[in-house]
Amino acid sequence: MLIIVVLGLIIYFPGRKLARAHVNSKTGVEDHPLMCTSCHIPLSKNKLIVKLINSDYYSPFNLAVSKDGGRLYVVAQEGNALLVVDPENHKVLNKIKVGKYPYGVVLDEAGKIAYVSNQWSDDVSVIDLVTEKVSDTLKTGNGPAGLSLSADGKYLYVVNSFSSDISVIDLKNREEHKRFSAGNNPTGAELSPDGKTLYVTSRRALIAPYGDTLKSELTVVDESTERVIARRNIESAYLIENVAFTPTGDLAIMTMIRPKNLIPSIQVEQGWMMTYGITIIEQKEKGRVIQLLLDEPNAYYSDPYDIVITPDGKKAFISHSGVNCISVVDIDSVRTLLKESSPEILNKWSNNLGISSRYVIKRIPTGANPKGLALSPDGKLLYVAEQLEDRIAVINTVSLETINTISLGGPRRITVARQGRRLFNNSGHTFQNQFDCYTCHPDMHEDGLVYNMASKDMGRNLTNTQSLRDIRDTPPYKWNGKNQTVYKQDGIRFSTVLTRSEQFSYEDLDALTAYILTGIHYPPNLMYNPTGELTGSQLRGKEIFERTKDNSGNVIPENNRCITCHTPPYYTNLKLASVGTLAATDDSIKFDTPHLNNIFASPPYLHDGRAATLEEIWTIYGKEDKHGLANDMNKNQLNDLVEYLKSLRAPEYENIPSKIKHTSL
Amino acid sequence: MNRTRSTIILSILMVSGFSFLFFASCRRKSADGMIIFTQVYGKEQDKNVAEETLEYTALTRIFSIDPDKSGDSPTILTEDFYSAKSPAVSFDGTQLIFTGQKKQGDTWQIYEMNPANSKINQITSAPENCIDPAWLPGERLIFSKIPLNDTLKSGHSIFSCNVNGSDVRQITFNPDVFSSSTTLKDGRILTISKQVYPEKRDPVYMALRPDGTKAELFYKSSEGNILSGHGWETSNGRIVFIESEKSNREKGNVISINYNRPLHTRVNLSSEIEGNFNSVFPLKSGRLLVSYRKSETDRYAIYGFDPEKRSVDNAIYSNKDFDILEVIAVEAHERPKKLPSEVDKGVKTGLILCQNINVSEAQSSVNTSALSKAYKIEVIGKDSTLGVVQVEQDGSFYLKVIADTPFRIQTVDENGKVLNGPSDWIWLRPNERRGCVGCHGDPEMVPGNNIPLSVKKAPVIIPVHKSNLKEKAIELE
Repeated sequence: MLIIVVLGLIIYFPGRKLARAHVNSKTGVEDHPLMCTSCHIPLSKNKLIVKLINSDYYSPFNLAVSKDGGRLYVVAQEGNALLVVDPENHKVLNKIKVGKYPYGVVLDEAGKIAYVSNQWSDDVSVIDLVTEKVSDTLKTGNGPAGLSLSADGKYLYVVNSFSSDISVIDLKNREEHKRFSAGNNPTGAELSPDGKTLYVTSRRALIAPYGDTLKSELTVVDESTERVIARRNIESAYLIENVAFTPTGDLAIMTMIRPKNLIPSIQVEQGWMMTYGITIIEQKEKGRVIQLLLDEPNAYYSDPYDIVITPDGKKAFISHSGVNCISVVDIDSVRTLLKESSPEILNKWSNNLGISSRYVIKRIPTGANPKGLALSPDGKLLYVAEQLEDRIAVINTVSLETINTISLGGPRRITVARQGRRLFNNSGHTFQNQFDCYTCHPDMHEDGLVYNMASKDMGRNLTNTQSLRDIRDTPPYKWNGKNQTVYKQDGIRFSTVLTRSEQFSYEDLDALTAYILTGIHYPPNLMYNPTGELTGSQLRGKEIFERTKDNSGNVIPENNRCITCHTPPYYTNLKLASVGTLAATDDSIKFDTPHLNNIFASPPYLHDGRAATLEEIWTIYGKEDKHGLANDMNKNQLNDLVEYLKSLRAPEYENIPSKIKHTSL
Repeated sequence: MNRTRSTIILSILMVSGFSFLFFASCRRKSADGMIIFTQVYGKEQDKNVAEETLEYTALTRIFSIDPDKSGDSPTILTEDFYSAKSPAVSFDGTQLIFTGQKKQGDTWQIYEMNPANSKINQITSAPENCIDPAWLPGERLIFSKIPLNDTLKSGHSIFSCNVNGSDVRQITFNPDVFSSSTTLKDGRILTISKQVYPEKRDPVYMALRPDGTKAELFYKSSEGNILSGHGWETSNGRIVFIESEKSNREKGNVISINYNRPLHTRVNLSSEIEGNFNSVFPLKSGRLLVSYRKSETDRYAIYGFDPEKRSVDNAIYSNKDFDILEVIAVEAHERPKKLPSEVDKGVKTGLILCQNINVSEAQSSVNTSALSKAYKIEVIGKDSTLGVVQVEQDGSFYLKVIADTPFRIQTVDENGKVLNGPSDWIWLRPNERRGCVGCHGDPEMVPGNNIPLSVKKAPVIIPVHKSNLKEKAIELE
């Protein structure tokens, strides 16, 4: 017995020491509990384990209601399906397979056809609602998202979120008839009640130098002439996801975020990081653009997504996917406020947290991550797509209470990664719920903004938000490469300088890490590299990217070749480098070599976002040839290089297994 | 076979033994649901610590009573104390802290008690009076400390320490009197702050982080009413407290404000009720406990209060000779967030950025062009001016101030005339970085999204006029 105890002690203590060293090296922190299951199961790459620990959720995103109110058509984004739901009997009647990563759905006037945009397959599924089968597939631009039918039902407007344009599809001959350019990353589309004007909202602000007023484009299309008649800049706002008109057409109201990226990020108190609200446009000659917040002085209502207005025009419902609730806005109170306020006063209200008490009449709690909203035809019921609950909530629009929930039949268990996704999308871990991971990383990507993170002094160290797509094998993290792991990135310092609230528990941190490292994938690069077969220009660009000699035949030093630092499959060597981009306002540091997959979707470029385009990296900010030898290239060569860079996509689409040893979590 | 049977019997005995030990260890007298209150003999109230806002009465005693056993006499919890006051229950409902004097003439110190068995530990052993304790998450607590040789300039600061009394840290540094602190669910401290120097101002509720950073106005009374006592957060997002009428300090009302918008949601829950309220405490059920008397000839007694109906229920406990000063309940509550700290004692300064000095509360609702524009600010210390600083074209300024030093700011026009201010006292903790929208800005205003011109330069070091101090500040960096 004694021998066993002694042997146990001998094994336990050195074993524990070794385990501690192992966990410290893999997590980058020194206090993570010694739990093998924290990492080895949720982050396993073993196919069987991956299958066992994960589940296939539906993730309802948007929805539409049939004209008689008897059916709901729910876009199951991760189920790649349109679910036909009987709301009265709470039953899912059918699951119609559509394209990849469906986004929006609209029904035709007769209620016989549904159109579903498939964001990751660049098409629209046409569904015969009688047979409940896909009858046709229509090609669109890149990343189709919001949809709207013309008043006469002859045309389908498809908002292409990746290529930032609008496809007009002639439904008679089933072909794209016209294409308009839109704002940056547009998604929302809504036809005015008179059927004459189409509003298309944008999520990302227009690219502009840091310090310029933020502007996001609202594209206005005249339906009769099929022309863009206005490009209105919605100032100081972005992530304008959706828009709705009042039934009388006097107001257009859209959801928005008013970020504070130009101010040093030194506190959360007093709306110092993010505020959320609505932009209202008066639909008349010289109609004003007014912005009103939905927040309160000590409570923020993050990530407003969808908006619907009741048929009587009295109430607007807005989903807040970051705080799991619906704001109910009394539209007459908004009208009164607009009527009594001068432009100067309205301008002040746009930065006032107390004014919402004038028009927000209720906050209705929902399940996790409410997204799309739809009203029953009589306006008495509101349906809410609770994305991370796999459920539809039913709200009585008179009593303003949730009266039912409809389960979509997805898995009942919440996996570790799913819990991580809920945390990623929820502001509960930020002081007063002011923001969450999703706020600055919409679609788990990045928001296109540059922030003054003010790490030591204010006004210094500008930081271009980085994408979180498929970052598992691309440590270290942050531009300065100081965080070797996501555990460290989202640990105590994260809560001290960013969320400024209680840090994640290790259970939550494990879940968040599991989601970030295993659950966020790149969309296919259908815009520049749909098949993997490169164009002539891209092939020439590839040669330049991999070249070892300059145009004069001189050998390029190894450390000044593109391929040396930007090594496939992630196009990063995971090392820090100095490429001549250090600004006077930066601390003296080297920068982490960024990965380049889907780099076309991440403007602006460089650590402080100074380059509006890939080309500017060399033409304006690479004159000293420190960021790779480039100044010997002629314009055609540079064009080819840029074309090649835009073609880069995720390894999973290249069928190349990652060659990088998994060195961290 | 015998061996097997012996093994089974042995196993049963072991399991039974362990089970007995386990359950025996769990079997503990619980104080859950008990009401804790402070009472004092009504006719001989000797205020032995009577400061600007603090009235600490001698011979106060802390008692407990079971509200479900009407007719039972209350149990004294602080029998060995000359005076005891300000009980506060831990978030899990198992421990009590309070302040007490062991003997007449002793200083007040903080003690911890298990209300189930009245076992008491002393937490503080300071030469000064330590009063008004409140729990913080993370096994820490806060209290107010009154300096021995109190002057108006010293104020009564808030300190934090571990539950065992170690690691005492001062967290407020202005010459205000702080009292009646509680912890909000968001992790901040809600405390009464009353400026007494250089001029007296009415007390206000301030909210600040447990490390003393980001102190800001939470609520101030209007119409000359005076805050008194703790502000308690309810389970439905409101804060309840007592506010007395300026003309009649005895006339206390039960006030409720919304946490989300405290400055503009005041509701007087007792406006229709005859009599005076002395203290209030929210129960998890949504109801309130109050100490109340119907007329000045009555004694304050414990009552239930329905905030929906705005009515007082029957008395829970009364004593014809004693007044009930405070009343709380032993209930587990949601633990507040444990906020991280940005304080770095290795740094000797803090930074403050004002986005636009010309945005003030007065200007937030009127046309700003009609008002004079500030060109400079003066930073005023306790004893003298700390410097005059030019503001930028956009009205912004950016200062680096020696940490833990109180200062006030006033705005000055181009002719050197004081336009606005001075402000309330401000202090910055070491490494604190703080932003303000404007001077005396509307607390409900958020900053506009633009780069302040002042952060394009290095911060102005305060104090600016005393070269030796300025150099000292630079050296400290």
